[in-house]
Amino acid sequence: MATVQVSEAEKVYILHGVRDDLRVDGRGCEDYRHMEIETDVVSNTDGSAKVSLGHTDVLVGVKAEIGKPRPMVPHEGYLEFFVDCSANATPEFEGRGGDELGVELSNTLYKVFNNRSSIDLKSLCISPGEHCWVLYVDVLLLQCDGNLFDAISVAIKAALFNTKIPKVHLSENEEGGKEIELSDDPYDCMRLNVENVPCIVTLCKVGYRHVVDATLQEKACSVASLIISVTHKGTITCVRKVGGGSLDPESIFETTETGKRVGKALHAPLMELLQKEENLGKKRPKVGFLG
Amino acid sequence: MPVDTKRVRGPEVSQSPSLFLCKTAANKSFTQKDARVDGRQRGQVDVRSVFVRCGLISQAKGSAYIEAGNTKLICCVYGPREMERKDETDMKSGRLMTDMRFAPFSCRERGSWIQGSDEKDLSLMLLESLRPGVCLHKYPRSQIEVNVMVLENDGSVLAHAVTCASMALADAGIEMYDLVLGCSIRQESATYLIDPTYLEENGCNLASGSGDNFGSLTVAFLPSLNQISGLQSDGEMGEDILTGGVRTCIEGCFKLYPVIQQALTKAVRRKAPPSEN
Repeated sequence: MATVQVSEAEKVYILHGVRDDLRVDGRGCEDYRHMEIETDVVSNTDGSAKVSLGHTDVLVGVKAEIGKPRPMVPHEGYLEFFVDCSANATPEFEGRGGDELGVELSNTLYKVFNNRSSIDLKSLCISPGEHCWVLYVDVLLLQCDGNLFDAISVAIKAALFNTKIPKVHLSENEEGGKEIELSDDPYDCMRLNVENVPCIVTLCKVGYRHVVDATLQEKACSVASLIISVTHKGTITCVRKVGGGSLDPESIFETTETGKRVGKALHAPLMELLQKEENLGKKRPKVGFLG
Repeated sequence: MPVDTKRVRGPEVSQSPSLFLCKTAANKSFTQKDARVDGRQRGQVDVRSVFVRCGLISQAKGSAYIEAGNTKLICCVYGPREMERKDETDMKSGRLMTDMRFAPFSCRERGSWIQGSDEKDLSLMLLESLRPGVCLHKYPRSQIEVNVMVLENDGSVLAHAVTCASMALADAGIEMYDLVLGCSIRQESATYLIDPTYLEENGCNLASGSGDNFGSLTVAFLPSLNQISGLQSDGEMGEDILTGGVRTCIEGCFKLYPVIQQALTKAVRRKAPPSEN
């Protein structure tokens, strides 16, 4: 991850501030930075979204392809995640430098979605055991300013909301084999239900308290962080401790509670916003990458 | 191009016969019986009994072997070795490098020798769990390598890898704040299965796991300091179930602690020169 050198005096300043629930940029311990979300930014994908959280920029593209279902679960489609840390983000990511971070992020995403209720995988099945929809979710990090997990998870939720999967019907051809036909109408498509898609909240332990949405400076003062992925009902789908420090069990319980509260509160406004953007339809002002 | 006409090659895409076996095995009900397949109880802190030995590998600075049920792991530690100076931060403290690999014959299906992303993820988790326990500030400009090899995977591999690695570090004489012990748990709606076997870990995905509270949790714990150095969970659980699971794993770690301590003292005695009396 991009690191920043912080002097001892600055560390003490940040620690004392967090202790009194006042961070360097004036936020409280549980406040997010200004977040901007825009969907449907890339026209070649089936669904896309761009999220800016402070100076962190994440672009997610979802492409749906027809593939063979996994042998153990013939009635379901699946999702494949890939995170690419672009060299644009920081010079540390040049060449293969960003691979390690990318692998860590992808693996966490697999864990977050590794349950039965996040996405209805049965709706992605076309013909059991033979054909299913595979959703390739590709994440691109454009700018890195701390708190990558949160931005990525919000972007994935928005991109999946925006995904339009074409409707297909199976028909028999002359030899009796199955043929897949795409409907002629380009607007005839299936949408995904993203109600249960979880959002990730990263809580960094700074001093005795934990902060949500840490900037790079705050991250440099913390030894350990907890990543919690929460659905809108408050179910926790993944918890991970990252960083080289250790945490007290009581502190973990407190942090989990805070994470659950913050995560739960994130979903309702997000869904509202996505619906509003969708309802604007063609009248929506496109901001794109220059805004 | 010469074509090989003497051999009859099988189809390009081949699958293991065990995949077809599993479909019938999944129909066997994993219902709420009290006893688990190996006779342990659900809902109780019943970890598998562990066999540990240190100091097996003569070439390594420290090594350890652990067996829990059918899960077998071996770990070697090399170091502290000199590290090429990369940047300023490494001047003040040492670096710990972990590598966790599965032998191709360790799981039900043959794996490959190339490290997959699962193994990379486990290596990273192992590193994060061990780092708080090792006094790296005592080894500036050096690196300590920890290599774990899973010989047979019968469930809760990460938890036992953490325990094995910290024993190997102690056997190598690396200064540590405390032993790091690992424990994992599989949550199944109302009850939990501590230290699950491979079938218990994966079989539940096939069963009708809808509804809440199906998931697994692994905790790495430093018993004397009461600190959690590693935590990983997946599946979906309510917050109180998660909290209860963490507490149960901590209890499981406390149960393992005396066994590991005994094994270490035996190994130290064996290594020490016999006293002249």
